[in-house]
Amino acid sequence: MSQSTLATLSALIVWVALIAYAVSGGADFGGGIWDLLARGPTARRERVAIAQAMGPVWESNNIWLIFVLVVTWTAFPIVYAGVSTALFIPITLAVIGIVLRGAAFSFRSNYGLEVGAGLAWGRVFNTASAVTPFLFGTMAGALVSGGIRFTGQPPEAQANPWTTWTTPFALSCGLFALGLCSVLSATYLAVDATNNGDQALVESFRRRAMIAGAVTAVVGAIAAALASVQAPVLWHGLIGRALPLSLAAVILGLATAAALLRNWLRVARVLVIVMAVCILAAWGVGQWPYLIVPDVTIDNAASPASVLGPMLIVVLIGLVLLLPALWYLLRIFKARPRARTPQTTVAAFVSTLEPTEETD
Amino acid sequence: MSSDVAARASLAVSLAFHIVFAALGIGLPLMFCIAEGIGLRKRDATWYVLARRWSRAAGILFVVGAVSGTALSFEFGLLWSRFMGFASGVVGLMFTFEGVAFFVEAIFLGLYLYGWDRLSPRVHWLSSIPVVISGALASQFIVAVNAWMNTPTGFQVVNGTATNIDPFAAMFNPAAPAQALHMLIAAYQVTGFAVAAVYAVGMLRGRNDKYHQRGVLLGMILATVMIPAQAIVGSWIGEMIARQQPEKLAAIEGLFQTTAGAPLALFGWVDTSTQQVYFAITIPKLLSLLSFNNPDATVTGLDNFPQATWPGLAVVPIAHLAFDIMATLGGLFLLVPLVFWLFYFRRRRTVPTTRWLMWTLVVCGPLVFVALEAGWIAAELGRQPWIIYNIMRTSDGATTNGGVAVFFFVFLAIYIALAVATIGLLRRLAREQKTFVTSEKPPGSIE
Repeated sequence: MSQSTLATLSALIVWVALIAYAVSGGADFGGGIWDLLARGPTARRERVAIAQAMGPVWESNNIWLIFVLVVTWTAFPIVYAGVSTALFIPITLAVIGIVLRGAAFSFRSNYGLEVGAGLAWGRVFNTASAVTPFLFGTMAGALVSGGIRFTGQPPEAQANPWTTWTTPFALSCGLFALGLCSVLSATYLAVDATNNGDQALVESFRRRAMIAGAVTAVVGAIAAALASVQAPVLWHGLIGRALPLSLAAVILGLATAAALLRNWLRVARVLVIVMAVCILAAWGVGQWPYLIVPDVTIDNAASPASVLGPMLIVVLIGLVLLLPALWYLLRIFKARPRARTPQTTVAAFVSTLEPTEETD
Repeated sequence: MSSDVAARASLAVSLAFHIVFAALGIGLPLMFCIAEGIGLRKRDATWYVLARRWSRAAGILFVVGAVSGTALSFEFGLLWSRFMGFASGVVGLMFTFEGVAFFVEAIFLGLYLYGWDRLSPRVHWLSSIPVVISGALASQFIVAVNAWMNTPTGFQVVNGTATNIDPFAAMFNPAAPAQALHMLIAAYQVTGFAVAAVYAVGMLRGRNDKYHQRGVLLGMILATVMIPAQAIVGSWIGEMIARQQPEKLAAIEGLFQTTAGAPLALFGWVDTSTQQVYFAITIPKLLSLLSFNNPDATVTGLDNFPQATWPGLAVVPIAHLAFDIMATLGGLFLLVPLVFWLFYFRRRRTVPTTRWLMWTLVVCGPLVFVALEAGWIAAELGRQPWIIYNIMRTSDGATTNGGVAVFFFVFLAIYIALAVATIGLLRRLAREQKTFVTSEKPPGSIE
């Protein structure tokens, strides 16, 4: 395979992993956002439902991010090194968010939701969950806005450390990311609540999904309008090469809203995922062939074929191993109860054994 | 603080923190896999209680390990952008392998930790096996990257960039097999001793029941199985460093003059300005013997290298002490299990309750982490001033960004907070009733 094909495939892998992270890990951030916004009589049950939904899956969802990083630095070293330099501040803040979000989620689950230390970690968890995707969104906006320039040999990134990611367009991307996470999450949570037979929660999350969806659509429209001024390369891509995907995203958004209105929650879950995939795919196709506008393209940033070839092979073999395992994990924890319950669980089996001596 | 000093300090803190969680994250799955396997086979609830509790501890530790590991994969770029710009293409394949292994580990750990109420006994136990295997494999790839920094292969430097890259040659660099195995075995030793220490505390408090006995027993079995492995790999590493990084060996051992039949200077203070080692216990010819299996072999001293490439005034004595601490404790960790088994078999196969022996096990608990950190410190400081041995200086690999000092203090504070919370939770877990509780409704937890 030619160097250019390998580079394109590598970029494709990065993008696919990024999309996987957005629709899985993004929803976990969304869970934190809904935890932050939980109010009223069902607040406590909502928090419990969110924690139970995230518990078994959020760590493997988080690995998609590591996947994105590793493939990026292997296949496009100057992108990784350059972005780390140019966006030092938002990345550092996002890393703090990632560390605190994950650790605080686990600490809260272990301390107890409504006990002193658990409450404090709960606040850390939900705040970090809201801040982190916002920062990711601003970074995505910064990459296509033209504020990061590369000079010298080997190329080094130059950018204003503060303004690059705080343009109106970048900020609107941050808000859009936040909105997308909360829509995905509310939709998934509504289905989970159906599985658990909690009708009040189904209603609550369904309503939230619709409201968040409407807000996100407005933010998305503003972001698109700002893109036409501040990120013209992306804008022309979105209404040019990526137009079918852009239109599909809009139509799927409307279809998701309709499905939520009609209470077809499982359909809505599929639609919202496909919509998110279309949005991110449209973005990717839109900025093609740039990785960082305007100096870095897939071809001029790629590692040599001797690096890309083996990496792609390892990634593909890895995915063949991973995806069935991931599918099984999701089936066990996310499918309808009757599809997943074995005849005896470990817990039931252990309760039939001789009781152990009680000590304290 | 200058950027490169702050970058070093930041990554040092992150890795010193991460290595503890990573080591337990590799070792504990083996413990709960074995315990649950026995419980399933013998239909024994006590083993299940042990497996369940280790899985809860592993759950807490794995999360902190995973988030600090995620942070590390950003920190490489934030703090070491010039190193990554140069090297990430060369070492990327190892990270890719590691990423895949880690992904598999996270998926099956999710099944294992949360599957007590969802999976059949057999499937649940089976789901622990990929966790054990992929955790071990992930460590091998990540340590291979560190080994590559010691013995870089698989590329050529042309105009300051790495070209003619052969990622497999980089992965199988000379230091990789020994260094990676050393770390893996150390992870199992750490876990074995740490677990034994926890249950030895219970035994000292008079809880001489099956639950505590088996906790001590399985910890000691793991520590014992690793004795010959670590002894072999340890000497392999010594020889490897002597051949591949003679300068590192000379610095760690405080050997200034190239010497035939070189003595081993144990502990003491290495002073690079006077080129002396003060207050050391000197054992004749031992360094030559350990390095080349020949008491009269010539060991290259620091005099063979320009002073500009010595690890530095402040670094050498610390590297020397760290290495000796690790090696001495390593010796202790080979002896303690042997004494334990002597008592065990003399008492007709019952776990001894001899107080001094139990106290020794308790003390070994924290010491095993000291050894882990010391070994890592010796390895990292001994490589200085290079980030990639003989290719790139550490100061040339750091980011040129300002603000790294702030980064250091913020992350120091975060890691201290996480360490305090983790220890608090593990202590809480230790105080809970030793009964079988499942993941969805642990006491004191949500619902």
